[in-house]
Amino acid sequence: MSGGLPRRIIKETQRLQAEPVPGIVAIPDDSNARYFHVDVAGPKESPYEGGVFKLELFLPEEYPMSAPKVRFMTKIYHPNIDKLGRICLDILKDKWSPALQIRTVLLSIQALLSAPNPDDPLANDVAEQWKVNEAQAIEIAKQWTKRYAPSQPMPS
Amino acid sequence: MSEEDSDYGDCSDDEMDDDDDDDVYGDYYKHEEVEMENKKDDPEYFEFQLLKVEDVDRLLNENVEALSRAINVTPSLAKVLLHSHKWSVQDVIDLHKKDSLKLLVDSRVLPSVKCTERVLSRNFICSVCMQPSLADALCGVSCGHRFCRECWQMHFQVQIQNGVSTELECMGKDCNVLMPEDFVLSIVTNPRLRDKYQEYGFQDHVKSHPELRFCPGPNCPVVIRAPVDKAKRVVCDQCKTCFCFHCGLEYHAPTGCETIKRWLTKCADDSETANYISAHTKDCPKCNVCIEKNGGCNHMQCAKCKHDFCWMCLGDWKNHGSEYYECSRYKENPNIANESAHAQAREALKKYLFYFERWENHAKSLKLEEQAMKKIRARIEEKVMDSSGTWIDWQYLLDSAMLLKKCRYTLQYTYPYAYYLEKGSRKELFEYQQATLEAEVENLSWKVERAEITDRGVRVG
Ligand SMILES: [Zn+2]
Ligand SMILES: [Zn+2]
Ligand SMILES: [Zn+2]
Ligand SMILES: [Zn+2]
Ligand SMILES: [Zn+2]
Ligand SMILES: [Zn+2]
Repeated sequence: MSGGLPRRIIKETQRLQAEPVPGIVAIPDDSNARYFHVDVAGPKESPYEGGVFKLELFLPEEYPMSAPKVRFMTKIYHPNIDKLGRICLDILKDKWSPALQIRTVLLSIQALLSAPNPDDPLANDVAEQWKVNEAQAIEIAKQWTKRYAPSQPMPS
Repeated sequence: MSEEDSDYGDCSDDEMDDDDDDDVYGDYYKHEEVEMENKKDDPEYFEFQLLKVEDVDRLLNENVEALSRAINVTPSLAKVLLHSHKWSVQDVIDLHKKDSLKLLVDSRVLPSVKCTERVLSRNFICSVCMQPSLADALCGVSCGHRFCRECWQMHFQVQIQNGVSTELECMGKDCNVLMPEDFVLSIVTNPRLRDKYQEYGFQDHVKSHPELRFCPGPNCPVVIRAPVDKAKRVVCDQCKTCFCFHCGLEYHAPTGCETIKRWLTKCADDSETANYISAHTKDCPKCNVCIEKNGGCNHMQCAKCKHDFCWMCLGDWKNHGSEYYECSRYKENPNIANESAHAQAREALKKYLFYFERWENHAKSLKLEEQAMKKIRARIEEKVMDSSGTWIDWQYLLDSAMLLKKCRYTLQYTYPYAYYLEKGSRKELFEYQQATLEAEVENLSWKVERAEITDRGVRVG
């Protein structure tokens, strides 16, 4: 790793490898230690169960004073995630605090998959569908999971 | 205007007199006593002062010092306390007497109980950057969270660049303790960043102070101070913006703050539907010649056939200005509840367009009459130079034009109010008075335009 990498990032990365979050794999890129390849397994009893979702996570220059930038690469049907994979999560925006970590962010994203919040939507059409007919929305989410996020054996 | 703490509250007169930049005769024969009496009679009279940034700084600092002395806290903490208590020194002192700990926790000067358990980072490691550090190199405030100066510095920099100042929080986990100004300034050394921090802080303080408002005029630095927070007219003497002290929107009596916001949002949303109305020409209802409206008055006279008619409803003017003046009143379809949803939607649009058209038309008239006023001034000067009458002889015309402007403005703002009024006797009474005002306004407009300038209702096409 490059000498310029802040100790905080080194420590967090080491801990993520040593004690990974269950259901999440985050591996720093070979050429850029601030860029992480992330796999998140769809939580049990959610419409995303059985799927594995690819995300990218980047630690900006000001990290940890500024929040990490996170985006879904795998298509997902979720009221708080838009077409471009951007995530509507308060701790990634104004509720960010330097006391939070990559680990906290990943856990929060996992929680968001378990409990979609159509009242604070990013993808308006999806949120609308979620409110009007939740059963149907969940069905679509399941289909998308099968189609776009087929499960592979998780590397661990 | 603000060297002294005297009474600046001559708002309505400001509006009447300062209308033009070259008004050298503005104070020609004003009598102070008469002015004072008029203020008391004027239901729209509102007392306010125009302050410069330095005046506001002084005012806020006086409060800070008073509180800091009274309850023995640093000025920085006094500022935090005042900011979260609408700048009432007395309220803070009272709360402090009752339960000082509660006051300090509620104001986020001290951490809530939960937070105090997480004291000092162990092993002298800054938990944000995870660098080992000398114990005395770590610093922080009342909550006990300690971080290194570099981390604080970077935290403040990022936050200030996002416009955060009075809401700057501790970096500790779940800690919402606010960073007092002296701590922030002891860390932030970059002069540009310090300036920004203080500038944003100033803005936040003015916004939390119930007696203060920034003038909403573009790039206007003036701050208005009024002893009571009411939806009253304020006129800024620097940029001439006329606005409501309570909500900062353009002054809008008799419509209330919430209603005008609703109305303006609706107008913005429906602007395309309403666009077709913005016609400057209509046909004479009698001889069908095309007439361009280039004056503010809605009492039109066809230049060709001399027919008098109303620009709004194209009705005969003879029926206007009487008890039966119906032009301002929207007649709802009494049977609408039984109609189809489609018909109801159409009716709703018709009703909105009726009010919008009148609102828009008076706004246009106001502009046209403002242009006419300039012409009147020039004309009067000409007359005076010509020795046809003295300046004083012609004053009545200017006075009338200014009164017309004031009345037309209010008339315009009666329409959103009427639009949202529930059907019933209150609405009937309101519309009766509105109609009377409208008739008189058009009457005055007609007279002001005719008094000197007769070239209106120009024929085109
Ligand atoms: Zn540090
Ligand atoms: Zn703290
Ligand atoms: Zn101004
Ligand atoms: Zn208002
Ligand atoms: Zn005609
Ligand atoms: Zn009419």
